[in-house]
Amino acid sequence: MAKNPNKIRAKRVASDYVIDIIMIVTIVLVLVLTLYPFLNALAISLNDSNDTTLGGLTIYPRKFTWRNYELVFTNQKIWMAYFITIARTVIGTVGGVLITGMLAFAISRTNLVGKKVYAMLCLIPMYFGGGLMPTYFLILNLGLKNNFLVYIIPALVNLWNMILMRSYFQSLPEALEESALIDGANYITIFFKIYFPLSTPIIATIALYFGVQHWNDWFQANLYITQDYLKPMQNVLLGIVNEAKFAEQMASAGMGVTIDANMLKGKETNVRSITMATMFVTIIPIIIVYPFLQRYFVKGIMIGSVKG
Amino acid sequence: MRLKQAQASGNTVLRKKNVFSRMLAQWDLQILLVPGILLVLLFSYVPMYGVVMGFQDFQLGDFPGFSQWVGFKHFQTMFADKYFGLAMRNTLVISALKMFIGFPLPILFAVLLNEMNFQPLKKTVQTVSYLPHFISWVVCATLMFDLMSTDGGAINEFLMWIGVVKEPIGFFTEGKYFWGITLCTDIWKELGWNAIIFISAITSISQDMYEAADIDGATRAQKMWHITIKSIKPTIILMFIFQVGGILNANFDQIMMLTKQMGNSMLKEYADVLDTFIYRLGVSQGRFSFAAAAGLFKSIVNFALLLGSNYVAGKFGEAQLF
Repeated sequence: MAKNPNKIRAKRVASDYVIDIIMIVTIVLVLVLTLYPFLNALAISLNDSNDTTLGGLTIYPRKFTWRNYELVFTNQKIWMAYFITIARTVIGTVGGVLITGMLAFAISRTNLVGKKVYAMLCLIPMYFGGGLMPTYFLILNLGLKNNFLVYIIPALVNLWNMILMRSYFQSLPEALEESALIDGANYITIFFKIYFPLSTPIIATIALYFGVQHWNDWFQANLYITQDYLKPMQNVLLGIVNEAKFAEQMASAGMGVTIDANMLKGKETNVRSITMATMFVTIIPIIIVYPFLQRYFVKGIMIGSVKG
Repeated sequence: MRLKQAQASGNTVLRKKNVFSRMLAQWDLQILLVPGILLVLLFSYVPMYGVVMGFQDFQLGDFPGFSQWVGFKHFQTMFADKYFGLAMRNTLVISALKMFIGFPLPILFAVLLNEMNFQPLKKTVQTVSYLPHFISWVVCATLMFDLMSTDGGAINEFLMWIGVVKEPIGFFTEGKYFWGITLCTDIWKELGWNAIIFISAITSISQDMYEAADIDGATRAQKMWHITIKSIKPTIILMFIFQVGGILNANFDQIMMLTKQMGNSMLKEYADVLDTFIYRLGVSQGRFSFAAAAGLFKSIVNFALLLGSNYVAGKFGEAQLF
């Protein structure tokens, strides 16, 4: 904030300094508590696994190695899962922004015939749902079990995102639409050629929401996918964590089980290192992307909070 | 006059034709919402019809909605079920913790952050604080299991180092820690994200008010309370309505991940919430109609709570959802 020379400086009293101290402590605490788990995990994933078992590792690796990541990437299962995750995220995000955006645009037009009915149809499911079981049988009856499309089709419309986009479209000047209509453009052209290109902030925000939702989802695969080759990264990581704990329990019970046969066939390593390496492979794209979209999603939330 | 009479006598044929031709005239606009509306009808309204299975005895292979009607049998069984009571208790306790401790913290964080005048640090803290929100609960639980492990986990190491405990605490082997873990991990994950809306509400407060307060010789604490917090009160109330409306959603993803998809039986007594109860009944035990009834119960109570809190907020002349 630029210093304003004319600003009246209030005299500082003791309580002002107390607030300063509380503020600094809070900020440092949030920084440390948020970052430490990630840095610790990163250090474990980049550290020699035998060395890790000695304990005392903090936020930097003691014996640096890429070995854990090499092991992760020699696993065919990981590549397949990564491909599935990327495919569903890209297709799901593009499709979601498009279908939800079209719906939002149409509902945002004041002259839409049947506007009230459409708006009501969209409002009710935001607060009332049929629940898990009816949805489950619907998906089965649609033949989406063990089908890649189960990731895409049910998630094409997100009504919360629709409301955000609608508010944004409403906030754009109506003259845009009117002048285009006079020039003989139809609404499809107006949407794709005029409104869409003018809506970068909201599209970036909604794309991020869709993208994160697809990237992080494990439940769809858990319910509807039984074939391994269709499982996304989250479910592979889940499998590794569960198997690892199982293996640890077995080892500590003295039963000497061979740790995750698929993963580590005859290779000397430690479950913890592999888990952390897999975890980082899972989250790296998100960590890289979200800071760049920050200014958009902060704005997007503001639009949403000003209820239209 | 004629038109009015025609409408009053319910000449729907005429009106329908009218609407239809008006829709046809703007086919280019109508066509944009066709895919969206069809998907909403299919994936939101068909399941709403599907809740009738809660009043029936659904068997695999039945056409949905055409099974044997049994009335409120499943609801009666549910209210008598010991595990339902337990799930209800856990749901309410976890939600209450999140509401009374988890809800005010982001507000406090936003208000404190507003007091920070060194922009680069402010921006950094914000960016960092959003990070856990974008990470799935699968990943989050992976991190937490490692942090809280009894075998060299950072939290136990730290507690032993400062001398609070002598033996490592088995966070995930004893149920009594679970509520605390749920609350803390939730705060860890969502603090920064939940603060955004309050931060943006604060940025829209007029600077004049602070300057006027400076002239009057207000202290910082007074300004924080009388200007900052009072100004964002509508936002706080709106968010609180949402929170109340979600009382029965005790974050399914979180609980499933922290309990290894309810595979950790040591935690069940404290961790089984309504959503996991429904999931277990329906998906693991195949008691479909029972699970559907429990799901319907949850939806109705949630909806009623939302309407109720919205109404109360309106009564007090505060911000409302609808």
